[in-house]
Amino acid sequence: MEHTKGKNDFTALGKRMPRTEDHRLLTGHGRYIDDIDVPGALHACFIRSPYAHASILSINSTEAEDMPGVIGIFTGKDLAEWTTSLRMAPSIEGVKPVEMTTLPIDKVRFHGDLVACIVATDRYIAEDALELVEVDYEPLDPVTNMFKAQDAGSALVDETLDTNLVSHQTFATPDVEKVMAGTDRMIETNFSEHRQTHLPIETRGIIAEWDAGREHLRIHVGTQAAHPYRTAIAGRMKLSESQVTVISPDVGGGFGQKIALYREELTVAALARHLKCAVRWREDRFENLLAASHAREDWVRTRAAVDENGKLKALSLEIVEDFGGYCFYPANYLARVIAMILSGPYKLDHYAFDVKVVLTNKCGNGPMRAPMAITSWIMEGTMDAIARDLNLDPVDVRRINMIREDEFPYQMASGETLEDINPFETMEKGLSIIGYEELRSAQAADRERGIYRGIGICNVVESTTYGSKFYKSAGIPGSGHESAWVKIEPSGAVRGAVGISATGQGYETAFAQAIAEGLGVDPLEVKIEIGNTDIAPYGMGSRGARGGTAGGGTAYLAGLEAQKKVLAIAAKMLALNTADQLCMKEGKVWRCIKDDWTETELTLADIARTAYLDPTKLPDGMEPGLEVHKAYDPPPMTYSNSSHFCQVSVNINTGEVTFDRYLIVENCGTVINPLIVEGQQHGATIMGISGTLFEHVVYDENGQNLTGSLADYLIPTAADVPELEIVHMHTPNKRTPAGIKGMAEGGVMGAIGAVSNAVSDALAPFGITIDKHPITPDALRALLRNKS
Amino acid sequence: MKPAKFTYHTPDSLEAAFQLLGEYGDEAKIIAGGQSLIPVMNLRLAQPEHLIDINAINGLSQIREEGDIITIGALSRHREIETSALLKERLPLLPEAAMRIGHLAIRNRGTIGGSLSNADPAAEWSLMAFLMDADIEITSARGTRMADITDFIQSVYTSDLSADEILTAVKFPPIAPGEGWAVCRISRRAGDFAIVSVATTICLDTSGAIENLRLCIGGMDVTPVRISHVEHAAVGQMPNEAWIKSAAEVASGIGSPESDMHASAEYRREMAAHLTAEALREALKRCGGGA
Repeated sequence: MEHTKGKNDFTALGKRMPRTEDHRLLTGHGRYIDDIDVPGALHACFIRSPYAHASILSINSTEAEDMPGVIGIFTGKDLAEWTTSLRMAPSIEGVKPVEMTTLPIDKVRFHGDLVACIVATDRYIAEDALELVEVDYEPLDPVTNMFKAQDAGSALVDETLDTNLVSHQTFATPDVEKVMAGTDRMIETNFSEHRQTHLPIETRGIIAEWDAGREHLRIHVGTQAAHPYRTAIAGRMKLSESQVTVISPDVGGGFGQKIALYREELTVAALARHLKCAVRWREDRFENLLAASHAREDWVRTRAAVDENGKLKALSLEIVEDFGGYCFYPANYLARVIAMILSGPYKLDHYAFDVKVVLTNKCGNGPMRAPMAITSWIMEGTMDAIARDLNLDPVDVRRINMIREDEFPYQMASGETLEDINPFETMEKGLSIIGYEELRSAQAADRERGIYRGIGICNVVESTTYGSKFYKSAGIPGSGHESAWVKIEPSGAVRGAVGISATGQGYETAFAQAIAEGLGVDPLEVKIEIGNTDIAPYGMGSRGARGGTAGGGTAYLAGLEAQKKVLAIAAKMLALNTADQLCMKEGKVWRCIKDDWTETELTLADIARTAYLDPTKLPDGMEPGLEVHKAYDPPPMTYSNSSHFCQVSVNINTGEVTFDRYLIVENCGTVINPLIVEGQQHGATIMGISGTLFEHVVYDENGQNLTGSLADYLIPTAADVPELEIVHMHTPNKRTPAGIKGMAEGGVMGAIGAVSNAVSDALAPFGITIDKHPITPDALRALLRNKS
Repeated sequence: MKPAKFTYHTPDSLEAAFQLLGEYGDEAKIIAGGQSLIPVMNLRLAQPEHLIDINAINGLSQIREEGDIITIGALSRHREIETSALLKERLPLLPEAAMRIGHLAIRNRGTIGGSLSNADPAAEWSLMAFLMDADIEITSARGTRMADITDFIQSVYTSDLSADEILTAVKFPPIAPGEGWAVCRISRRAGDFAIVSVATTICLDTSGAIENLRLCIGGMDVTPVRISHVEHAAVGQMPNEAWIKSAAEVASGIGSPESDMHASAEYRREMAAHLTAEALREALKRCGGGA
């Protein structure tokens, strides 16, 4: 890309500056949904199913409706009159079309599914009324096991389908079967992730206000994708997008849970219009755990054909994923990406995959940081399995298979192209920092003394930024572009907006740095406005790790374009023929005379004043004002890479896992703000550890969710997780603005693999390999008990 | 997660509280720290019509020693017990146990009287009270009565407290100088209720043989359990590894533990043995005034 400069040329990009939003967030001046007062707003609460699978025979709400303060009780039939259904029918081979109404009408599909909505003058009264509504259910056979769900005789989660298998996709390179059949050694490895949920600190919530005079809907909602959200809600309420404003204020975390338009939110918005009054809803923690959105729960098997040195000849992958009861996303959305990027940093010519996605009577799944999180564990666990089978060192197996620096760009067997990454270098660097050889000797000596320590390695190739071309080729609907504007006001004040919405990532700081770099001003001079569809340009939202490349990259390009216009005016004001020898630096125009840069008298404020208030001085034909709009579609896929090294001790008496060391060597190219990158690495890695060791949504065989509070759904405290050492490397991406690659999910991928492999390594003397999560003390004791 | 409607009372004397209890009986609930009651009210698992807040009543939060009995007022916060100089010297198990209760914010609010009245079998105070044979002081308009802890805590969330009574104090004997002690537990995370917990005190005679042993285990039954036959048989024994292992084996067979999503019954039995051995070893190290 022509604008790419060397890393050292940047002044605002790469600056380790504190996040500008933190002062308000840390001093209690953030504005989350509950901080927004709307006088007279009514409160909604939802009646939810106590059954996993049941027909709704009748709903008797007469007594509840008579309670003082109750405005009304609304069912699926009511909502069907005011809103359209969600039809999920992408033209993707292997994915079956499905449809859901705004609220269920005839039957419920999971414990916590929606039955009706109560609106009252406050939430207390609404919950009092809830106890008086009588719902008559006829329980149906619950479908709770994704394998049995595929049996011919299984009850159907969705009767419009003739099977619970909602998506089935396969792929094979031409010779994969032949190569597999001709290989002596076939190593089969299993992996299984359990069901988890996103657990944002701020649960879902919405305030919907209907302006009956102007026929306009204003919504405050915590969302990662304000514009697509507006498109969705306008469509389903049969409004024009011009009739809806979506404002996403400060948001207490999303992690993928706040992308879709949820049924509760649509119901509240439709009721605001119906009742001609503001209606608000705050999801409580019980609801969030039961019914917001879940993630993971899959079973995976790899079959690796290798030679006697552990060199990978061919690989096949099977995935079965439990998607829950509803499709808020195309059913192939999550598992497909795993299959596409599986081989990561390793050379592989022959590859096949078979990916099945199954509906069950559980809460619907969605993307959770990282949707493809299991990928690195699968591949690195397969590498460890090869090493075990051939009695080789796991590092040697990685070395023999890894793509070397001079082999990039590398086209993966799935068709994706990797470039500008350095997995071999990050792995070798990490190995030398931890002193791998010495750790192995110490491990052997410890085992003699009954101390079981393990070393886990996980090399991550993280797909960060999805361009429109990737979506197209992966058969997933969507665009990967992003847009931004920069407006320099007459005083020289700089405002910037980017379409993407923030949920705590520090975008206001990062985007200010990106625009500042492009424009040539101090980042603190740039005010960022995001999360309001009337202000920010249409963007595709925060998902994947696209904030850096798509958000930051577009902001940077918009800044550059603004600088171009500023300098064109400056050239005219300085009576020069061209702006070629001018640049902006710290808000001032600099001029190059004979290779020597010197400051001119002109400031951004001078130029802005001219642009707005003295336009006759502008270059011929130039529009007055200083406003720039820029849209940018990133390359098909941008990759970052990292290597995780984890050393654990397993107490074989109690099954407890403790961390001795955790090192990450990461390379996310040009860094916008090192503090934010470190924060993202910490957050992501701890999230991966948390899912591997603690978090677990537990359903019993009848589909009852047993983890409805944070006493049962466990997330670690600071005392339960390791300190992280992080080493940074920077290989810029040649095809993105400023060489930004993005990062935010790789830490999750690395932690899952590194921790699992470390525990397996610790327990190798017992012949135990971790193939299932979560790794709890109870589960480890059960494995040890069975081996002794 | 909003509680059902209730009336909130703040009596400033025990007499006023008794009057309210007399008036509302079963429809009333006493609230002290609220660390267990408020969550169950928010989940509407409990819907008391009257909440009687006893925090304004004076004299219920002292920690004092009189004639070889340590009295802890029912309103004493976990944090006060954790930091009490008297207890650190005379009954150091209690500050040690208090440290493991939840997190600082919880310890600043939660009270020992509330915890014992709630009779959660996994609570630290139940374990301590069973270990030390604590006496519970119960007061009502009818007067004051004392109950042995084994009579007071009857089962899971079931204590011997009539609708007109308030738990007002807990009485513990201090440990003897040179008496060893230990509190060991296992939980999924720092601050969680224990899956299994073991507490012990050991007194050795001048020959190094066991003179007196208390050994109590939580998480294995509906209440904490004293392992009395190990306690009795220990007297006169030399506390060597073989004895520790045999005691641990007995501990693993105690009670009728149930499986839940955090631990299977089998795991609890294994941990009972493991923690018993750990606790005995740790207590022996402290015997004779060692740290």
